[in-house]
Amino acid sequence: MRLVKIIYLLGLCFYQLASAATEEQFDEELTLRPLRDGKLAARFSLTTLLKGSTPRSPESLGLDDASQHYTLFPLALGQILREYAVTEMHLTLNAGKWNYEGWGYPEEAGVGTGGELWAWMGDSGTVTVDERWKGLRNALAGLFCASLGALDEQRTTSPALTFRPEGHLPNGTASHQLRHATLPSEHVCTENLTPFLKLLPCKSLSGIASLLNPHRLFDADWHGLGVHVRYRSGMGVEVRLAFQAVFDPVRYSTERRRDWSFHSVFGRVVRMACPVARSSLVRVRLPESSYALAPVPTNVVGDYAVYDVTNTSQPLDVELRWPEEHAFQYPLGSDLMPLTPLSIRRSLKGSSQYTAQLAIELKNNLPVEIQTSYLETMPWLLQFELHTLKLHSNAVPRDDLVEIVTYTPSVPHARPSLLQAVLTLPPKATLQLTMDVMKPFLRYTEHPPDAQRGWDLPPAVFLPFSFGEGNYSVAHTHDDRDTGAHRAGDREPQGLAPHAQAPVEARAQRMYTPVLLVDLATPDFSMPYNVIIMSCTLVALIFGSVLNLLTRKLVIVRVGDAKTQ
Amino acid sequence: MAPSVITKIREKLRPKGDRNALKIRRRRKLTGMLWRSLPIIILVLLFVGHLWLLLIPLPLLGQKTYIDENALQPGQVNTYFNWEDVHHADQYLAELERLRDQNATSEEISGYLVGEFEKMGLPAASQRYLFSTASSHASGSNSYALLSSPRASGTEAVVISASWLSRTGEGNGTLNLRGVASVLSLASFLKGHSLWAKDLIFVISDGYLEGMQAWISAYHGAEQSNLFAEPLRLSSGVIWTALNIDYPGHSFSHLGVFFEGLNGRLPNQDLINSFQLISRFTGGVPVFVYDHSDSRELPVWLPGVLEHVNGINEYAYRAKNILRHVGYQARGKASGVHGLLHQFRIDAITLFAVPAAGPHGFHAFGRVMESTLRTTNNLLERLHASFFFYLLVGTETFLKIGSYLPSAIIIGIAMLFTGLNEWVTAGSIWTPEQLGEKATDAAAPSGQGQWTRRRRPVLPALAVIIATHLAGILTFFTITRPFFLSYQTASSLAMFAFAYTVPVISSRTIDTGRDEVAPLATVLKAFNLCIASVVTSGISILNFSLAAVLAVALGFPLCYSSKSSRSAARIIRYTFYSLLAFGWLFVPEQVRQAVADWELLGVWFAPFVCIVYVPLMLQGAVVTLLAQ
Repeated sequence: MRLVKIIYLLGLCFYQLASAATEEQFDEELTLRPLRDGKLAARFSLTTLLKGSTPRSPESLGLDDASQHYTLFPLALGQILREYAVTEMHLTLNAGKWNYEGWGYPEEAGVGTGGELWAWMGDSGTVTVDERWKGLRNALAGLFCASLGALDEQRTTSPALTFRPEGHLPNGTASHQLRHATLPSEHVCTENLTPFLKLLPCKSLSGIASLLNPHRLFDADWHGLGVHVRYRSGMGVEVRLAFQAVFDPVRYSTERRRDWSFHSVFGRVVRMACPVARSSLVRVRLPESSYALAPVPTNVVGDYAVYDVTNTSQPLDVELRWPEEHAFQYPLGSDLMPLTPLSIRRSLKGSSQYTAQLAIELKNNLPVEIQTSYLETMPWLLQFELHTLKLHSNAVPRDDLVEIVTYTPSVPHARPSLLQAVLTLPPKATLQLTMDVMKPFLRYTEHPPDAQRGWDLPPAVFLPFSFGEGNYSVAHTHDDRDTGAHRAGDREPQGLAPHAQAPVEARAQRMYTPVLLVDLATPDFSMPYNVIIMSCTLVALIFGSVLNLLTRKLVIVRVGDAKTQ
Repeated sequence: MAPSVITKIREKLRPKGDRNALKIRRRRKLTGMLWRSLPIIILVLLFVGHLWLLLIPLPLLGQKTYIDENALQPGQVNTYFNWEDVHHADQYLAELERLRDQNATSEEISGYLVGEFEKMGLPAASQRYLFSTASSHASGSNSYALLSSPRASGTEAVVISASWLSRTGEGNGTLNLRGVASVLSLASFLKGHSLWAKDLIFVISDGYLEGMQAWISAYHGAEQSNLFAEPLRLSSGVIWTALNIDYPGHSFSHLGVFFEGLNGRLPNQDLINSFQLISRFTGGVPVFVYDHSDSRELPVWLPGVLEHVNGINEYAYRAKNILRHVGYQARGKASGVHGLLHQFRIDAITLFAVPAAGPHGFHAFGRVMESTLRTTNNLLERLHASFFFYLLVGTETFLKIGSYLPSAIIIGIAMLFTGLNEWVTAGSIWTPEQLGEKATDAAAPSGQGQWTRRRRPVLPALAVIIATHLAGILTFFTITRPFFLSYQTASSLAMFAFAYTVPVISSRTIDTGRDEVAPLATVLKAFNLCIASVVTSGISILNFSLAAVLAVALGFPLCYSSKSSRSAARIIRYTFYSLLAFGWLFVPEQVRQAVADWELLGVWFAPFVCIVYVPLMLQGAVVTLLAQ
């Protein structure tokens, strides 16, 4: 009898699973890309689609929400999205500095160091966008154990030029607004990965996500996780969890070889498939030089070898070797071409405590003219002197190449500044953009109680959008991002070749500069006591003498000589 | 009996009469006493100040160094720098020696270095620079590489540098090949670890100091008019600490630490202490302050008997260190390449492998470097906890600012008192009484007469002061001209003759000697001493060594710079003061050095001497000329 019951219950479960799969679908994909400096870029993309659903309309915020039942879709995240009526949301937490010139464009565009959160939300009278933004960042802070609560008004801007929605905005009556904030000092580690994995239907127990081994991921040269929610008209709400990392197999190998396998890089292999995944693919970018790939891929599409893990019966450990190579020979800098159309360097020059100079060097690597948008969202910790913005091309002033679209000056202690501009880069030119900045003096309560290492400033974001009239076709990343199943190969025309002679890829994708650290005048915090003691003494002295003078009776004293008296 | 004694005492303490009048009388008496004993007080202050300076090396003074910043945790790590890395260093060294033997140009060397860095997988670049100074041109090519640390945002960086020329002989041509090879092998070794929290920048600067000056000013965007430096192609974040490697010999027995920076800046003491601990306990290499041994041997010119006096050897050792320190700090010289970084708020030291027959080599050096870098890597904030003002008298002993600063200040006070004394003296004159009236002032000296006020010629005194400072500026202008440096002996002589005769001639035109106006010499001396006192005390906060040297040079001479009735004595005095003011002209090598330091590195010593010290001494000389 008991057996029958169990069988019945099991049957019920499977039935439910099967029925759920029709409403919610989960796709997972791992893309591995050997880089020309011996490193290995890995990108996990784990997509859950809630079919037929729409983001909550902001008008209904005052009313009770319809009850939500999810099977695969992460409930913890779903509740937050409903609670604050978020149409589209992107959260990235990254560690490291993405090397665009050597690694090319990342598969996930959001690679700014630290935390970045941006959301498109419908406007309504009931609850303002700003209140919901505040709730959203606090809820996400709780969910992902990150200090996202610090993304307050002093860091929030609305740079709608650079951060366009990646999905669709529902054709409701509500107009949509963007909120964007960055936290460059945020560090990403295990405490962020654990809640991240909890959002997955198979956690990290099976399927491709089982390769997400924190011990290895957080030893990578670069790593970052992202949560992307968007609404796809006609399909539903999609949550995509992404993890991106750049490993250094040469560092792991005692013989300094760049050979890698799942086991050497992740410390794990894919033992079994995630049973609820609709598709589960491993794509390996094939190198140009002679290589040995094991086991035999299911399929080869373009430059990519594809392994289908959906119905795997035995553990999968993909291994790529370069059998003819002994120790890896790093390519020499002189014959290396940058892999992105732009090379960007941003630095803060000067060593005084009052002023500094923000210097950006932009290099156009293409023989055609490039137009790029330029975004600075700067906390008031650095105040721009916009009139000093100068643009030089080979020491010739070229202020005509910059066009400022919007500028919102910062308000000390309250609001960051927002600078959106469009830069035109002549073919193969190098532009030097400089602007004087002022370092403000903080109130002493505004200094954080932690170690005083300086203040991290957010990255600037460039979005090259026009590449002359040449053969450089522009692909927009927003529209071609699709579920994993039909992705293989559709990037082929702009695909990255790992070798030096690869054509520079022209793509309209956001590029983040490295973050900056600024030293502001900092008091020695053991000083207040000395200052208190010193100033109290001074006040007492001054008060004493003044009181003495005021209360003293002045009389004439005949001094004379002591003997004469 | 007893009550009468008590009453007497009470009467003595509280005499009868108006209490207020008594108080005022007492105060007058005291002032009068102080006033009369002022010359003695000044003399005592001067002696105390000088004595204090002499006592600074006493073994009784000072305390043991300690690590103040908790995050540093020096020597707490396992080191992995092994013999394979030593082998790499040897290979790099062989290549570098080959380049040296081929007389390779700067470009060829930097090409080789950049190539080697790139073979390790580090982005590297070279930077050409050209300095043009009055006397010479210096050009070269720096090479540098950037190790972007895994997972780090690249906002903080640590510099590991070696200059092509060693500090031995201050860049006279001794090559730092082993230092460069160490940097290369460290670079390839350090890249194999993922634990670095800060970017590591490897810099191999050309020349001795000039290469690093070009590199670091380009890094910070500082412009220098006589320097052409290519902008850097690679950059990282804020540099917090820097370690400079100097390894000129074949092997070494000790590691010396050099820390003085430009214009007397010092790095945070925690850095020196950490290195010292790591070198001793991780590397097993004993540490010297500078490169001289701490054998505690007395100089040969001292009688041998002293050797048995307790503590005298220690005194001699400490004095040697302090003199060395003062030699660098007072002249504002950097004692090594590290010294150029302090101006950008980078804590930096030079690790100097003291050449010896053995027993240490690349292995010990690499391990010490690795562990020291791990320690600096631990930092969450800039080094700030420990001392920035200190006298390092031994590897493990230092003096806090409070125990040495008063020496210079006391001499400054003596000068101030002398100056104020002169000012008061200038204000009134004792006129003997002819009419036989009764003296009214109790404080007046015995004899018949009275104090009358007289005018003090402030403007002429100020004119002389301004003239001397202008002369100082003119001197500075002259010694930085190319013609001066090319005909140095002749122009020095001409300049001295000019500077010697002009005051003599111009002092003839000054008319003094009326009773109602104070002599110019007195007022001038008052101003001169007050300025000297302020300068000495002010400088002592910035650069103690310079202040101490200044106090010794100015203290006695300026305080006693007057009064000679005989003209022969006056001329001798005047010559003495002129020599004090311009004697440095006859040390041409030092002048040349100081001017070059000013032009290349912005060391303030040369302008300071010309524009502050020389005028002060000249004023003293003018006082001796004018005094009747």
